[in-house]
Amino acid sequence: MKHYKFGEARGRYIGPAGDIQVYSEGLVRGESGFRKERHDHEHDGQLWFDYGPSTGGMLESVGISFLTPGELISETLVDPSFKKRTLVVKGKSVEDALLTVERINGFHAASHSIAYCSAVEDALGINTDAGTRSSRIVMLEMERVRSHLEVIKRLCEPAGFGVPHSQIGYIRERMSRLISSVSGHRYFFSANSIGSAAIDSKNLLGETEAIGAEFARVYDGLLQSKIFLNRLQNNGRNEDGQHLIGPAARACNRRIDARLDSPSMDYSGAEFEVPVAEEGDSFARFAVRSGEIMQSLSIIRNIAEGPEEEGREHDTGGSGEGAARVESPQGDLFYYVNVRDGILEDIRMLSPSMVNISSFEASMKGNIFTDFHFNWESYGIWISEAGVEFA
Amino acid sequence: MSSFWFFEGLRKGRKTEKFPRAPPESPPLRPSRMKGEGFHECPTDAIAEGEWVQEKCIFCRRCEEQFKPTGEQDIFDVKRTEKILMRSIHLYRLDSGSCGACNTEFSAIFDPQYDAHRLRIFETNTPRHADAIVIMGIATDGMKEALDRAYEAMPEPKLVIALGACAVSGGVLGDAPLDRDMYDVEIAGCPPSPYTILEAIDRARGDSHD
Repeated sequence: MKHYKFGEARGRYIGPAGDIQVYSEGLVRGESGFRKERHDHEHDGQLWFDYGPSTGGMLESVGISFLTPGELISETLVDPSFKKRTLVVKGKSVEDALLTVERINGFHAASHSIAYCSAVEDALGINTDAGTRSSRIVMLEMERVRSHLEVIKRLCEPAGFGVPHSQIGYIRERMSRLISSVSGHRYFFSANSIGSAAIDSKNLLGETEAIGAEFARVYDGLLQSKIFLNRLQNNGRNEDGQHLIGPAARACNRRIDARLDSPSMDYSGAEFEVPVAEEGDSFARFAVRSGEIMQSLSIIRNIAEGPEEEGREHDTGGSGEGAARVESPQGDLFYYVNVRDGILEDIRMLSPSMVNISSFEASMKGNIFTDFHFNWESYGIWISEAGVEFA
Repeated sequence: MSSFWFFEGLRKGRKTEKFPRAPPESPPLRPSRMKGEGFHECPTDAIAEGEWVQEKCIFCRRCEEQFKPTGEQDIFDVKRTEKILMRSIHLYRLDSGSCGACNTEFSAIFDPQYDAHRLRIFETNTPRHADAIVIMGIATDGMKEALDRAYEAMPEPKLVIALGACAVSGGVLGDAPLDRDMYDVEIAGCPPSPYTILEAIDRARGDSHD
């Protein structure tokens, strides 16, 4: 492994990837006590109210349990295991395993495939060319824009804000069509391979300008809509964000971002700012994501006309251990792989959704049920990447 | 401020396409109907005896020397229709074990470019109000009971729609959540595009688009 070593708890703590504790500059083997258990409250006048796993208003299947005396929520537990998928990747070739890995979270397929490919390339000693590296940054930033648009669209829905909900849906679909024309697939499936990635940047500049202008107008309108703001402000406040990663951490004034401290991707030529906010509530998460949309569009414009991918063939039949970390739309996404003769022997994954669930649960204390959807959507948690295990 | 969003809505004008009464304005190449001939070792056995099998294809591009995507979006199979649902159809989505891509493509049919509401297609939050259940993702142990109970809770007549390669055939990830005999509509694609989803649902109630 070029960038990580086992036994070194150095840098900021990110979270667990199975039995590997991931730090920004090192890895430590060992389990963490991560999940809370539901406990009995029959005798203090409170009850557990179960919501899900399949219910209207939620994009994915997930079980949520609220402990409540009737109005205020005293405790919340999220159970991502209802749709837990056991994905068979061990024993497959590293290329065949990629087809499964990019479907762990299809909405963030570029992040998962790039993190996985980078880990495999680290294991096999494959050096990517400049065109591949810049193409992957464009993919990651396009995915970030669409993902944040989806979160903001879904924040408008429970507020009953039909016009901005539709307008952001329109922009999001425009972004999906741009992704399709750039990468050949609306979700970047099979746009990455071990050692290479290529994009067609023909319509990129004009479309990103137009998408940015359209979003800025909707965002300005939302900032003037007091009913919308009232639903977000002071909702789901996190005091210090110490256990958070990604935009949710940056909304607590923590300027942490894998684009700044991960050696796996080189953003040095991208020229961008990392928006932060201080309040740590749903509004702060909304504001940070909105700022990141504009920054990501700027990154795309800065590097879209970079060098082209050289189309080199790479030998994927080698052996070794590798690790990589990228900033997915929801935060640090980490992969560890162990490859023998081109066959995937072992794999670990740390998803930002799994890391952030505990902080979401804590932030629900003192809320009422009608606050739930705003708070949940503002975290942008994807159950598909939280409820998954490898075989 | 009270009239701001009203005028913002008017300012944007009409953004909805005429599809499915007219050809799609921006059909994706993947997924779309693949045409070609030949043999290729396919990771999901989507090429059998030299023919392309739409419900198994995940559009991984490995066979594209022999099979080319055409952009044609009609990659679905309607096995049974319910004409009574022509006036309106309410859909209940059930995520059995999806990667999330089918979920967001299904949501996209209500975005302005497609606007499923104009075709009297709606989403409902409870299976008790549903005319059709839209199943996405592979079979998972934890969602089996929820799927069975949602199906039982739906009033007659009801349609069962499998959305995406995982739900229809298991795709590359696992097994389909139901036996294929249970499905009235099978929508191929990984994930299917909003065009494909919209037309398949419209056809499921017997609309011939004439």
